[in-house]
Formats: sequence, C-alpha cells, structure tokens
Amino acid sequence: MSAVIQDLIDQPYKAGFVTQIDAETAPKGLNEDIIRLISAKKSEPEWLLEFRLKAFRHWLTMEEPRWPNVRYPKIDFQDIIYYAAPKPKAKLASMDEVDPELLRTFERLGVPVHEQKALAGVAVDVIFDSVSVTTTYKQKLAEVGIVFCSISEAVREHPELVRRYLGSVVPYTDNFYAALNSAVFTDGSFVYIPKGVRAPMELSTYFRINTQDSGQFERTLIVAEDDAYVSYLEGCTAPRFDTNQLHAAVVELVALDRAEIKYSTVQNWYAGDEQGRGGIYNFVTKRGLCKGRGAKISWTQVETGSAITWKYPSCVLAGDDSVGEFYSVALTNHRQQADTGTKMIHLGKNTRSRIISKGISAGESQNSYRGLVKVSPKAEGARNFSQCDSLLIGERCGAHTFPYIDVKNNSAKVEHEATTSKIGEDQLFYFASRGIDTEQAVSMIINGFVKDVFTHLPMEFAVEASKLLGLKLEGSVG
Amino acid sequence: MSTATAPFLEHLLAGQKIVAAEPAAWVNRLRAEALECAHQLALPTTRDEDWRFTDLSPLYRLAFRPAAAAARLDAAALAPFAVPEAAHRLVFVDGHFSAALSTPPAAGSAVAALPLAAALGPHGEVVHARLARIAEFREHAFRAVNTAYLHDGAFVLAPRNHGEAAPLHLLFVATQADATAQPRVLVVAEPGADLTVIEDYVSTHDGAHYTNAVTEIDVGANGRVRHVRLQRESRAAFHTATAAVRLDRDASYHAVSVAVGARISRLDHHVVHAAEGTFCSLDGLALLGGRQLADTHSFVDHAVPNTGGRQLHKTVVADGARAVFNGRVLVRPGAQGTNSAQESRNLLLSDRAQVDTKPQLEIFADDVKCSHGATVGQLEAEELFYLESRGIGGEAARNLLTYGFAAEIVGHIPVPSLVRALRETVLARTGAKE
Repeated sequence: MSAVIQDLIDQPYKAGFVTQIDAETAPKGLNEDIIRLISAKKSEPEWLLEFRLKAFRHWLTMEEPRWPNVRYPKIDFQDIIYYAAPKPKAKLASMDEVDPELLRTFERLGVPVHEQKALAGVAVDVIFDSVSVTTTYKQKLAEVGIVFCSISEAVREHPELVRRYLGSVVPYTDNFYAALNSAVFTDGSFVYIPKGVRAPMELSTYFRINTQDSGQFERTLIVAEDDAYVSYLEGCTAPRFDTNQLHAAVVELVALDRAEIKYSTVQNWYAGDEQGRGGIYNFVTKRGLCKGRGAKISWTQVETGSAITWKYPSCVLAGDDSVGEFYSVALTNHRQQADTGTKMIHLGKNTRSRIISKGISAGESQNSYRGLVKVSPKAEGARNFSQCDSLLIGERCGAHTFPYIDVKNNSAKVEHEATTSKIGEDQLFYFASRGIDTEQAVSMIINGFVKDVFTHLPMEFAVEASKLLGLKLEGSVG
Repeated sequence: MSTATAPFLEHLLAGQKIVAAEPAAWVNRLRAEALECAHQLALPTTRDEDWRFTDLSPLYRLAFRPAAAAARLDAAALAPFAVPEAAHRLVFVDGHFSAALSTPPAAGSAVAALPLAAALGPHGEVVHARLARIAEFREHAFRAVNTAYLHDGAFVLAPRNHGEAAPLHLLFVATQADATAQPRVLVVAEPGADLTVIEDYVSTHDGAHYTNAVTEIDVGANGRVRHVRLQRESRAAFHTATAAVRLDRDASYHAVSVAVGARISRLDHHVVHAAEGTFCSLDGLALLGGRQLADTHSFVDHAVPNTGGRQLHKTVVADGARAVFNGRVLVRPGAQGTNSAQESRNLLLSDRAQVDTKPQLEIFADDVKCSHGATVGQLEAEELFYLESRGIGGEAARNLLTYGFAAEIVGHIPVPSLVRALRETVLARTGAKE
C-alpha cells in the first residue's frame, strides 16, 4: 500500500511553468503611495481610493491571525509586489487576437478556453496576473442584461452597483487579510444578474499567479437580484516557484429575494515540493449574504493545491427561509496545511444550512476542518445538518476538526457528525479478490468518499475535479 | 486585559500567607513555585480561546476572602447529602478537613483515606511522586492558585490488587458566604486496585461563594477507578475545577459528572492515556436554569497506541441559562489503534437558553476510528405527538421526555442511592411527576 501512496505523493506539479510575458510591476512594499499608484493605474474614482486608504489604515492596526492550525514563517508584507499587470493592449474582439503564448499556457494547463465552446458555451473571464485580458461571450450575456466583467471595468461602468455592494458582505474591518485585500486589490470579477434572469450559461473565471513574488489580491463581487440565478465557476492553477506567494482574495456574494447563487471552485495552486519548499499561501475570505427572503447560496469547493489554505466560505442567512450550503473536498499531501471550513450564520426565520466536508490527508500534511454554526435568538425554526469526514492515508499526516456550534434559539435543530478513518486493508483485499488492483481500488474508494460533494459540481468541473484527484493521488497507494 | 482581573487575583492570593508551613520541605517549595506562577499568570477572560463563552467577570467583580478555619457545623446539616452505600467519608468544611464529621477508614484498613497533610508522613513518597504532576499548574492560573493554597486536601490510596466494593465519599461543604475554598484531591489506585470515589460539592446556604478545586487521579496498571463528581452548590456560587487523570497500562477510568448548582461553573476534565490498553468513559450532565452557566472542557489525550474512549455529554438548558461544552480528543503521532467516540447532546427548553458546543478532534495517526457528533434542539414534535396519541399530553409529555433525556446519564452512576437522589433532582427541575 505504501508504494502506491508514495507514488501519489511524488506526483510532480503538472502546471509548473512560467509564461514569459512582460509585466508592469510596482516596486516591492506597501504604503499609501503604492495604494495611490494602484488606484491611479486603474483610473479609479475618488471614493474607491478612500475605501482603499481606510482599509489600509485599519490594516495597520491589526495583527495576523494566529488561531488557525497552520504553521509558516512570518510573512514580510513589505517584500511583496502589490501590483503587476501585463502590458496594456487594445481590447480584443475575438479569441484569435489573444496573445498566442497566453493561449498556449492555457492549453498546457488544460484550461478549456476552446474546449468550453464545444462543451457548454461557458464564458470565461480570463484573469492573467491581476488584470482581465479578455472576456468572451459577453455579448450573449449582455442580451439578457447580465453584467460579467472585471471589477475594474465594473468600477468604471457600473460605479453605483459596485459602490453599493463592495464591502457590504466582507467589510474591510472583517479580518487581517480582508483589510489587506480591500487596500490593494487589483482585479477580480464582477457579476450582476438583474431581476428574474437566469444566467443562460455557467460563468467561469480562471486565475493564474504569474509574476514571481507578486501577491494576488482578487476581489470578486456577485449580485443576484430578485428571482435571479447564476452558477459561477472559479478554477486556479499557478506555476512552480520556490518562494512563497501570498494570495489573499475576497469574494462577496449578495442574493436578494428568492435569488440563487452557486459558486464552485477548483483550486490547484502550487503546493510546494516534497520538503514543503515554496507553494502558495492561500488566505481567502469568501462570504455570501442571503439578503432576501428565500435566497440561496451554495458553495462547492475542491481544494487540492496551495502550501497553506486558510479559507472559510460562509453564508449569512439574513432573509427568512434562506438556505446556505457548503460542499467541500480538501486534499492535502506532502507538507501541505489546510485549515478550511465554513460559517453558517442563521439570522432569519426558518433558515436552513447544510455542510458536507470531506478531508483527505496524505504524506505529512495537516488537514483541519473548522466550522461555525451560529443560530441567533431571532432565527426561529433554524435547521442545520453538518457532516465532516476525514480520510487518512499514511501514518504521518493529521486530520482535525474544530466545529463550533452556538445556538441561542430553542426552536433550532442543529446536528453535527464527524468520522475519521483510513482505507482499510480489508477493503483493498476485497477489491483485490475481485481482480481490481490497489491503485484502482484506492481511486474508487476515494471517488466514493467524495461523491456527495462532486455531485454538486457543475458537470464540466466534476470531470476536471475527478481528473485532478486522480492526478494528485496517482500511483500513491500500494 | 490582566488589569481587570489583577485585583481579584491579588485578593485571592492575599490569604495564602496564612497557610502554615508543612514539615515536608518539598510541599513548601511546591506552594512557593505555584504562588510565583499564579502571580505571573493572568486569569482568563473571554479573549482567551478556552474561555470564549464563559465570562468570569461576575466573579472577578467580587471580593472573596479565603475561608477561615472550619466553621462549626452540625452533623444533622449534612444529612441530606448522606450516601448510605459509602462506608467511609471525608468531610471538608470550606476547604478545611473536619475530623468530627468524617468517618475515615481505621488505620491499617486496606484502603487509606485521610487528609493530605496527615498522609505526608506515612505515604510521603506516593504523594510526592504524583501531587501536582498529573494536574499541571504552570500554564493554568486557577490550578496554580489552588496549588499555592495546598494544605488540607483528601488523599485516597487503594493498595495493589485490592477491590473495594463500597464507594468512598468526599464531601466538600461550603458554609460561609463570600468565602473561597481551594479543595484538593489525590486518588491513587495501585496496580490492579478497584475503587469508586464520589467527589461531592454542596452548600449549606444560598449565598455566593467560590470553590476552586483540583483533583488528581492516578490509575495503576490493570486498575479501575469509578469517579462520580457532583457539583450541587448554591445557585449563587462560583466553581472552577480541574479533574486530571492518568491511566497506566490496561487501566480503566469511568467518570460521571453532574452539574446542577453554581451560577458559573467550569470543569476541565483531562484524561491521559499514558500506556497501551487503557479505556476511559466520560459521562456528563448539566441541568441548568435561571441564569446559570455550566462549562465542561474535556481533553482526552491518546498518547500511545491501542487505547479507547467514549464520551456522552448532555445538557438540559432552561430559562436564560447557558451550557458550554468543548470536547477535545487528541490522537498523537503513532497512537495507532485508537478508538474514540464522542457525543454532545443538548436540549434547549426555553427560547432564551443558549448552548455553545465544540467537539474537537485532532488526529495525527491513520489507523484510528474516531467519531464525534453534536446535536442541539428542542424536544421532538413527533415524540410529543406519539405520547399525546397515548393520552399523555402537553406538560406531562414534555416533562417525561426531558426526564428521559437527563436520566440516561444519571443511570450510569454506580451508586444506587445517588441515582435515586439525582433522579428526584431531575424530576424537580423538569417538573415531571411520576
């Protein structure tokens, strides 16, 4: 069994290469001048610069959180480049005009920019090192009134919407990394679905961290008006680097009456080598606000990359009858550390939430689930079900659960279950007796283990995620 | 943050000077070290992760004085707390041993039970090897305070391969309002010994007082200790306590702890599986009403391979009361074959009641079977409907179900008279009538 695990563990990072594109970079370090530079570069209005500066000043008063169950050397925030942009080019009308080198990069990564056309007509807002390079299918979305563009563009073209919702779910005072992001965010996506509109296709964005030593501070804002529906896909890969890269994104979702937002992520950033050198620090704040009655927000994530993951996609269930969901698979290997989970804050009456979390740890990795289910005194009839299961592969890894449950209303019903286990010798023996070799058996067992989550991924993503897990665990158990 | 708690701590430690020096130099050194630690350490506030939900500021605002020497207490006053099965009992009044009220085993009996001070002579080595070594005080302000006051605790020793059928009753009575007591217990079961200890905290008045207890239990190889811990103090009292247990090879430990009293109570229950083949079961029940708060922090440390544990913690929370539970299970690297199951079940009886529960698993070995579960809710509508369909309606059905929920834990107590007494308490609290 150990030989297969070993192989799995030794799988090299397949997306590790650097694309040679000239980047316009700001000097290292962070101060008000850098923030003014970022704001000026992006020709931002005065109020946004104010927002950034307020966030920065607040950030200076904050301390890095120490409570997560992860260990890493102290980050020097003055040793980071806070702005890097590919050279500005004229807006592109079609895929043919995109830099062929960039397209080749996506091809090597398997990002299906072309494939998508064939698959389901997914519009991709390609983020390349902080600035949107191209947006496809915009036309088609515009026909039904959907706005899907980079956040910088949204600031220019829909300032009233951005101003109204930016920071309304994750205020800049929220936490250390959210404050940092609010001060220096360079780009991200903005989605606006007007009343009663169902997005005709899945919206997707691919992130890539490219310039060495440049932190990425993405800011995503999705607003779904009454009765709107959108499914948003986010996928990430990053090239191989030896120095750690900080990534501190903020994602805000707002769902109004009966609106539904489905947010899916596959994250496969560089995780560092076998000795834990390099790899991305992924400190992300994701939160959705079910503002209206009967709103629904659903997070699905497959976390396989990053040296350190610190991420709790959450739902604030403010509207009566609103629903929050969280489906997660977190796989850690080698020296990876993940402290991830969710928060379900029940404020409205008859709000419901569901948490399914599956952690897989291999190698010497540490995988923690940390969750909060909070039922406020006014949340009559709130309901929560949580299940978090851990699978351990090898005897040097760790799996931990920290579920917080705070209930202040007696009509609430909250259930939490957790189990920890390993792939049993008897299970493998059973497969062997049916002529299925160990590697295949492990793959089948793991696929069964994560099935409850994968069924909630959009089809294209589910295929990719299955491949990803297979790739990560290939030849690792014997 | 320490500025708010510093005056309370100083007040608390001011009385330490009155503790008389012991003939054994190591005890004096231990006290001095603990006193030093207590001065260094800050008392916890809700800014500390371990105390997030338990706000001790009502305690910190009060100025308690250390209880003076044992007040005179009529034996009749203790009648309600009698445990007929217990052949022997040690009584501590406001933290001071009362020879008049106690019925210790005669000198030369198999099981020794005597005040700690008296045990230092005949059992000096046994005590020295264990005291303050199972409950670590250097990082914990309340344990340090208790250790600084070390003088008069209870010492229980069951000799090798001795099985004692009758439980031993350790009764800690608070008689003085606005006083503090620092009870201390050391239980040693030698290899193969079998013992049942009842640790019982009661008040004879309804006023405020503060109990800060530390209990250490060392179970030798193949030994078994059954531990019943009752906290039924005045509902205006404050209670902070540690029960620390160490299990040697193939030893087992079964605890039932029940909290019905005190305005704010906190129990840190630590069990270390120090050798293979050990097993522990922890059962807990908190029955709360008014503005009470009961906090249980358990920590089960599976330090070696092939150990097992199960835990069932229940709370019944009425009125504006609050229950806090943090159950930490640690499986250390290499502790293969660990088998652990934990459940936290919470019943909310009023819309102002609160529960904060956090079952916490930290696992560093792969060949383990660990599970935990937590539920918070009110009585099931279906169960109420079922009873109603059988002619048991409304109040009676609710009381019956509440009683059934709580009585499960009480039923695990290995002392019949206590089971009966606590069932009465549960019935009185739920209003259920048989």
